[in-house]
Amino acid sequence: MSAPTLQKGLNAFAEQIDAPIASFFSSCVHCGMCADACLFYTETGNPKYTPIHKLEPLRRFWKQEYTLMGRLKKALGLSKAISDEELEEWKELLYNSCTLCGRCSMVCPVGNDLAYMIRKTREGMAASGHAPIDLVGASNRSVTIGSPMGVRLPALQAQSRKAAKETGLDIPFDQVGAEYLILLSSMEIMNYPEYLQAIAKIFKQAGKTWTLASDAFEATNSGIQIGVSDIARELVSRVVNAAEKLQVKTVISPECGHAYTAIRWDAPNLMGRKLGFKVRHILEVLEDFRQSGLLKTEGLEESKITFHDPCQIARRGGVIDEPRHLLNLVSNNFVEMNDHGKMNWCCGAGGGVSANEEAHEIKIKVFNRKVTQLKELKVDTLVTACANCRIQLEEGLEEYQIDLPVVGLTEMIAEHLVETK
Amino acid sequence: MNQLSLEERLRLHGVSRRGFLKFCAATASLMALSPAMIPRIAAALENAKRPSVIWLSFQECTGCTESITRSHSPSLESLIFDAISLDYHHTLQVASGDAAEHAREQAMKDNWGKYILVVDGSIPLGNKGFSTIAGISNVDMLIETAKGAAAIVAVGSCAAFGGLPKANPNPTGAVSIDMIIKDKPIINVPGCPPIPVVMTGVLAHFLTFGTLPELDHLKRPKAFYGQNIHDRCYRRPFYERGQFAETFDDEGAKKGWCLFKLGCKGPTTYNACATTKWNGGVSFPIESGHGCLGCSEPNFWDAGSFYAPLSTPIGHVAQNAGYALAAGALAGAAIGFANKQKSSQAIEKHEEITVNDLIKGETK
Repeated sequence: MSAPTLQKGLNAFAEQIDAPIASFFSSCVHCGMCADACLFYTETGNPKYTPIHKLEPLRRFWKQEYTLMGRLKKALGLSKAISDEELEEWKELLYNSCTLCGRCSMVCPVGNDLAYMIRKTREGMAASGHAPIDLVGASNRSVTIGSPMGVRLPALQAQSRKAAKETGLDIPFDQVGAEYLILLSSMEIMNYPEYLQAIAKIFKQAGKTWTLASDAFEATNSGIQIGVSDIARELVSRVVNAAEKLQVKTVISPECGHAYTAIRWDAPNLMGRKLGFKVRHILEVLEDFRQSGLLKTEGLEESKITFHDPCQIARRGGVIDEPRHLLNLVSNNFVEMNDHGKMNWCCGAGGGVSANEEAHEIKIKVFNRKVTQLKELKVDTLVTACANCRIQLEEGLEEYQIDLPVVGLTEMIAEHLVETK
Repeated sequence: MNQLSLEERLRLHGVSRRGFLKFCAATASLMALSPAMIPRIAAALENAKRPSVIWLSFQECTGCTESITRSHSPSLESLIFDAISLDYHHTLQVASGDAAEHAREQAMKDNWGKYILVVDGSIPLGNKGFSTIAGISNVDMLIETAKGAAAIVAVGSCAAFGGLPKANPNPTGAVSIDMIIKDKPIINVPGCPPIPVVMTGVLAHFLTFGTLPELDHLKRPKAFYGQNIHDRCYRRPFYERGQFAETFDDEGAKKGWCLFKLGCKGPTTYNACATTKWNGGVSFPIESGHGCLGCSEPNFWDAGSFYAPLSTPIGHVAQNAGYALAAGALAGAAIGFANKQKSSQAIEKHEEITVNDLIKGETK
């Protein structure tokens, strides 16, 4: 245990610098196209929100430590060393005004993955004590309590009993040998209990066995958001260990963006090994059910609906066609918004922004981008597949005084299930 | 004969006054002089006494002399040459042996300080014996004859820039005139060979004004060498449209498209071929379907293939790139290894971060 220091932060930068980062910085052509891809820039017009500019501390560190010219300049005192003051100044750029949505990575003409680098820069920020206080709190609760929102097992058990009562179905806990392990986000447990009920109904109809794990129900991972791999590993290992203990074949990431990234992409790297199970997003599983004829629905939505692609699921995760197939199953009035799919605009609250009170004002300001997209469509219902997006969409629409219901796709499907006796 | 003025001489050759003034006007326009200069050129030429010209040929192929003598007869150019007193030219003169060298010495003595020295061919410095005339080495003869000259005209690429004899590996140690003579005005009239009218134009200018024409940084008269072939080429529109002949017998070649891709050196060659043309204005190489070789530019012989486009690098690119690649790969590997070490050391130094290590001054 030791206090965060600048030295630790710089050491973390050195740990993170790898061949991709070196080639990204070397090949940046300073075109500024990433600015126009970022809603924090487009909605404010402030050039400090240009994604590559958010990486300035890491870029200077790389230049000073890993390049010949940079080392010479540093030796001659021609370039400024990285200071605590500078990192503190960059805190708002790296945490408050970046959702790790990765839209900038898509437009970069030389293929630089800027979101990857911002995630890595946060390692140095956290190690040097420049992480936002709310993310520190969320990480603390995740590690000590088991959920960033402080949700404990009894709360889940209470919600489970309610779901069992509503659906008349059993909510299984710790079933060894079940096919699927269901993970949840705190947001779903507290704000959207419909999700758990939908899961129970859908899996019942599909005839698949599933279970919750009482020691690893939380899918979110504050370590990923704050940028501390040690914490991220600690949190993800709980899920991995539980899944392997229960001998499930597949772990299902809930309707939560970064939870999917954490368990699907980061987990094997954090654990340093292959996982003993498959990881799928709930939409991928539902699409499998649909293709195998295990998803029988009836009736169509009457309202005009559109779908908000969560960044981590669509852009970073590649789950793009699945939600469309599922939507067309229950609607014949589904319309796409502009820039849908892999180029969709972020809701403005991912990557730890929603948990960060310091970012409240700007996250509402940049929500204007989504408002613009929605105004063009004039839809009656907005569907999404990420609880974090959903809370931002609801809050943002409220702030902009737009009356538009937001629904999770899984529960919309569940409402159309054919009743089986 | 020597006492007659140029105009009288032209009359004797049946050239009318009208024809003579036409030549003066053509000379003025060719050299980009004001039309007001035409009467002055006429007056100067009318009254010019035949200046003495001594022509020395060193390491050359006689192509320059051929060029001038093959100009269409009776062209004004050839008459102008009649109008000068060509007192020594070992290819053209009738005298031989001792008498020939006598003629040179006599002309030098009679016109000391006033004669024009024309030189074609380069001078070998590797060994004086490589090229001699009447037992006198080229370099000695040049130095001796240059002493009394009013000006020196270096005719052809060999005299002006060293030309073909100087081409790599330059076995004779050939050099151009201006590498040896430093104290006399020198006009370079490069080309392999040069255009006849360019030679006569330079002489006409000298007779008219008594001075050298305006020269560029390579001592070439700007009037003739001020623009490159490409800028004045009648095929230029095809270049602008990107229509190129790819081979000498394809559709593009038949349609007269630009020869850039077939190695035309027009864009880097400064000469008057595209405007004055050759053989009495009949044609010039590009009009005949072959790209410009750049023969009037320094070191044209060593500037890569005549048939490689200008955009093709010259030299051992692949080999040098190979060496550079190998050196770069080694340096890169070394730097990469050092950088990897740096990151590895940082990972070794890593202290595990827990949730209690995230706030400054609040370590538990």
